[in-house]
Amino acid sequence: MKINLDEIFDYTSFNIDRDPHIILEENVCQQCDQRACVNCCPAACYTWDEDNKKMTFVHDGCLECGTCYVVCKNEAFSRWRYPRGGFGVAFRMT
Amino acid sequence: MTVFDAIVVGAGPAGSSAALTMAKAGLKVALLERGSFPGEKNMFGGVLHRLTALEDVLPNFWDIAPLERHIVKKTLTFMTEGSSFSVNFDNQAANQPPYNGYTIFRPTFDRWLADQAVQAGATLLSSSTVDEVLREGGRIVGVRLLRDNAELRAPIVIAADGVLSFVARKAGLRQGRFNPDHQGVCIKALIDMPKDVIDDRFGLTRREGASNEIVGNTGGVRGGTFLYTNYNSLSLGMVLELGSLMKTDWTPYHLLNNLMEQPQIAKLLRGGRLLEYSAHLVPKGGYQMQPELFSDGIMVTGDAAALCIVTGLNLEGINLAAQSGVIAGKTAIVAHQQRDFSKGCLSNYKKQLEDSFVLKDLKLYRRTPDMLHNDRIYQQYPELVCGMMDEIYRIDGRPKAKMSQMILRQVKEKIGLKNMLADVYGGWRSL
Repeated sequence: MKINLDEIFDYTSFNIDRDPHIILEENVCQQCDQRACVNCCPAACYTWDEDNKKMTFVHDGCLECGTCYVVCKNEAFSRWRYPRGGFGVAFRMT
Repeated sequence: MTVFDAIVVGAGPAGSSAALTMAKAGLKVALLERGSFPGEKNMFGGVLHRLTALEDVLPNFWDIAPLERHIVKKTLTFMTEGSSFSVNFDNQAANQPPYNGYTIFRPTFDRWLADQAVQAGATLLSSSTVDEVLREGGRIVGVRLLRDNAELRAPIVIAADGVLSFVARKAGLRQGRFNPDHQGVCIKALIDMPKDVIDDRFGLTRREGASNEIVGNTGGVRGGTFLYTNYNSLSLGMVLELGSLMKTDWTPYHLLNNLMEQPQIAKLLRGGRLLEYSAHLVPKGGYQMQPELFSDGIMVTGDAAALCIVTGLNLEGINLAAQSGVIAGKTAIVAHQQRDFSKGCLSNYKKQLEDSFVLKDLKLYRRTPDMLHNDRIYQQYPELVCGMMDEIYRIDGRPKAKMSQMILRQVKEKIGLKNMLADVYGGWRSL
């Protein structure tokens, strides 16, 4: 048994909002020497491309845990809030 | 615009306890929940401790609440990549009501608890994310929702909106950034397993449950692992301190995957199937990260107020949340009787928290986060314990060392004598 985040939509339910609840100013991340979001996010929403020096953030599989909000030292978010009512992750058991 | 006697933001254990308390006293209560039902957004390790706070209003709690198993068996394990040393406490006294703790599922339990508040007369508004607090002359007088910018007004707002509590922040009760050392990320795999297999593997019958806290094998990251038995599933997860995790290249799921492959854990999980994966922050800094708990027209409860105790042996939160919710509710009832919603009147909330186990226990364990900040706990000590046990039991045709000398050598090798003495002193003081 293994957690494979490529299959997260098979384990955990989401009602994805087209309007993202988190907006990352990705240019801020280019200056960042830490990028703790990349390894700390338990849903792998943040990907750093070293060759092109580019950060990519996808909110689709966000578990709304709050980790990125706490570890980002540059406050690179122009929006960080919880999804609109009824949208986002939907735990069934856990 | 609708006017209520009190608005509770968040229908988790703190919010629903507050709403239940106030609704029972006849107050007109709005209970707001951002999920499409209470509990939809909530996860935790899995053990709910005894809720003494709710035993007055729900005296037969264990007969009516949706519980998985009650905990009779507690195990503490020191673990390395290939070995583990456990201390096991199996307690018959915990096998009868009032039970000391239960495994539960939050989407089921939180929904049930919110329903108790609704049956008492509270108005539950689901799918309602709060976007802003409303102020008038410096007082908090309501909230605005993200949906249609709807406004709800009440002379009292109770912030029960969880660890990040944007309500407390927007009301000016929490300032500055969170310290990553004060936050742990909890990740959890829910694993399907037939009841009789769980009973056999963990030595349980009927509704008996086991909880296992594990130290070590977290890649040197400060944190710990838990393994809990539900009725017919297991909860396996970790709490990892963000300040420590962010200094490594580990991801939480790599650490959890490594753990699932650890030979002793793998045997317990064999045949299991992953049902759900979830994550949330834990305000593990406790007393050290508390916001202001009240101001004019507002009180802060539960995780929003960092009412959480993480000692490694105990992981308490929901019991503190429910107690704080009940006390906030009672304070609101008095405030309505006196028609006084000022800071002065609501300061009774903090006073009563200080007189209860909530702030007493948080103060008692205020140094524990510093003690747990010691990296040696998470790697060297588990290796020391397992290394000593290995030498004690190993038969390899060579003469054995005197036990005292062997222990001293192992301590010198793995910890260092000075460090050991400092750790014993620090550990003693913090517990």
